Amino acid sequence: MKKMNVMRFVLLVTLASLLTIGCAKKPAPTPQPTKAPATEPLKQTDSGMQETDVEGAGSYTVSDLTRVHFDFDSYVLTSATRKTLAQNAEVMKAIPGLKVRIEGHCDERGSDEYNLALGERRAQAAMNYMTTLGVSSSRMSTISYGEEKPLDPGHAEMAWAKNRRAEFVAK
Amino acid sequence: MLKRIAISLTILIGLAVPAAAQIEISSPGQQLIPLALTEFLPLDENVRPEIAAELHEVLEGDLDFSGLFDMVDPEAFLSDADKIGLISIDVAFDQWRLLGAEVLIKGAYSIRGEELVVEARLFDVNRNRLSAGRRYVGRLTDLRRMGHAFADQVLEALTGFEGPFNSSIAYVSDRTGNKEIYITDSDGHNDLRLTDHRSIALNPDFSSDGSEIVFTSFKEGNPDLYRKQLASGVEKRISSRKGLNVTARFRPGEEEIALTLSQSGNTEIYMIEAGGRMINRLTSSWGIDINPTFSPDGDRFAFMSDRQGNPHIFIAEIGDESARRITRNGKYNATPAWNPRLDLIAFSRLENGLFDIYTIRPDGSEERRLTFGSGNKEHPRWSPDGRFIVYSSDADGKRGIYMMRLDGTGVRKISSSGNCQHPAWSPRR
Repeated sequence: MKKMNVMRFVLLVTLASLLTIGCAKKPAPTPQPTKAPATEPLKQTDSGMQETDVEGAGSYTVSDLTRVHFDFDSYVLTSATRKTLAQNAEVMKAIPGLKVRIEGHCDERGSDEYNLALGERRAQAAMNYMTTLGVSSSRMSTISYGEEKPLDPGHAEMAWAKNRRAEFVAK
Repeated sequence: MLKRIAISLTILIGLAVPAAAQIEISSPGQQLIPLALTEFLPLDENVRPEIAAELHEVLEGDLDFSGLFDMVDPEAFLSDADKIGLISIDVAFDQWRLLGAEVLIKGAYSIRGEELVVEARLFDVNRNRLSAGRRYVGRLTDLRRMGHAFADQVLEALTGFEGPFNSSIAYVSDRTGNKEIYITDSDGHNDLRLTDHRSIALNPDFSSDGSEIVFTSFKEGNPDLYRKQLASGVEKRISSRKGLNVTARFRPGEEEIALTLSQSGNTEIYMIEAGGRMINRLTSSWGIDINPTFSPDGDRFAFMSDRQGNPHIFIAEIGDESARRITRNGKYNATPAWNPRLDLIAFSRLENGLFDIYTIRPDGSEERRLTFGSGNKEHPRWSPDGRFIVYSSDADGKRGIYMMRLDGTGVRKISSSGNCQHPAWSPRR
């Protein structure tokens, strides 16, 4: 049983890394081993290796951590945000050594200082929710950049919606 | 520049007359005082027209911005404008009365090497007498400071309150690609970068004596509070508590600083010693409490809080965690600034997607809107005499530093390049 797990694990790691080469941004849905092409590397890893301590273990990689978004002047977690956070929690569980810094950000509207506080609340809200899902708070830290680091420099709702976010940065 | 600040400007004689001799303004608040501003003349053979021109420019800029004066056209000046008249018996007051001038500024300069001496006089034309006189001795590089200092004396002689122009503005600009702290004269000259953090520096504030600033910087990763001596450039991180260390304000006349921390997991305002040691917490609510600003006596502070839902301006006493809301209108009121002399609090309100600047009494009465038109006008801060406001505006596309009078008139831009924000007006030098 134990050996089985190790094999399966190594196989998945290889698969996942292959899959993420092409689509690093968008989180890949949990890779299905059956759909994956059986390529050369698989056979090589298959051939009796005993390595177990691999970073980026399980069916997720660090790049599966996905940013979440918020409504204007709000740090309430919407259902879509909670869904993404649940996935991020799974990533954290799948990669035991992983620590993340959750960065809270705001759009350019509102006062700079208030947005520093609001960004922190967004980061904390995300962290607290992931804690309730079983991720140890010792593996997460928060920082707020307020409106200082917009993802999109635009001055309209399209950009603002992108900028109201919490980012997950592996440490 | 930092050294220059330390250079003492010797005032050898103070000829200011007591307040009882102030010029009477026939209908205060309405009528402008007709002022004749003459060119300063050389005291000896060393004639330097550019010195006179720069003094004139400084004085004219400050006095015009004060909004108190109606400048008499120099084209109309008669022969007395070409004569040095530093004592009243040497002035042909009749000529100035003929032109309708009520006050007259005359002056002279002399230069020896790098040393500059400026004699400046303010005369009351109707009473044939001196209202204020100053001799400034310094270096050539102190020229503009001498002009600003005399403009401040002119305001004191005519209104009873010294002007604010011999002072500096600290602000944030991204012109290097990173947000750094800058300092400039009150009219935007002598611009100088103070920090080299290559990170994000925000929200400077001057100590009561003007010798230091505090500001927030992400230099070490976290938004920490730094304190910097202007003369020596020595800089120290004084608060690096977990979370936010932001919106610091020196308590008037004290070695104490109010700042916003989130170390408890909630955003609250605290008082710390200027060295960084904790004194106590000033606010307590579930909401975001931020942006403290002290009353002139330092016993009360206004701040922004969303404890009742929308962000509003509140006032609390030091040592009393209960707070009173003073803004009733609007849904987003931010960045309060308590006037250092008058019973007024300036703040910015977000309405229909744009910030504009307002004033309100500490009791919540007499709310007044000061800015209109396109762009965001934010972060109002008062001049040390409380008659003027420095703020940021992006009406021109880029964010710049602007000034206006407390009634919203006289708008002028002082910052040069990059996006500029978070101005703070220093005490007088």
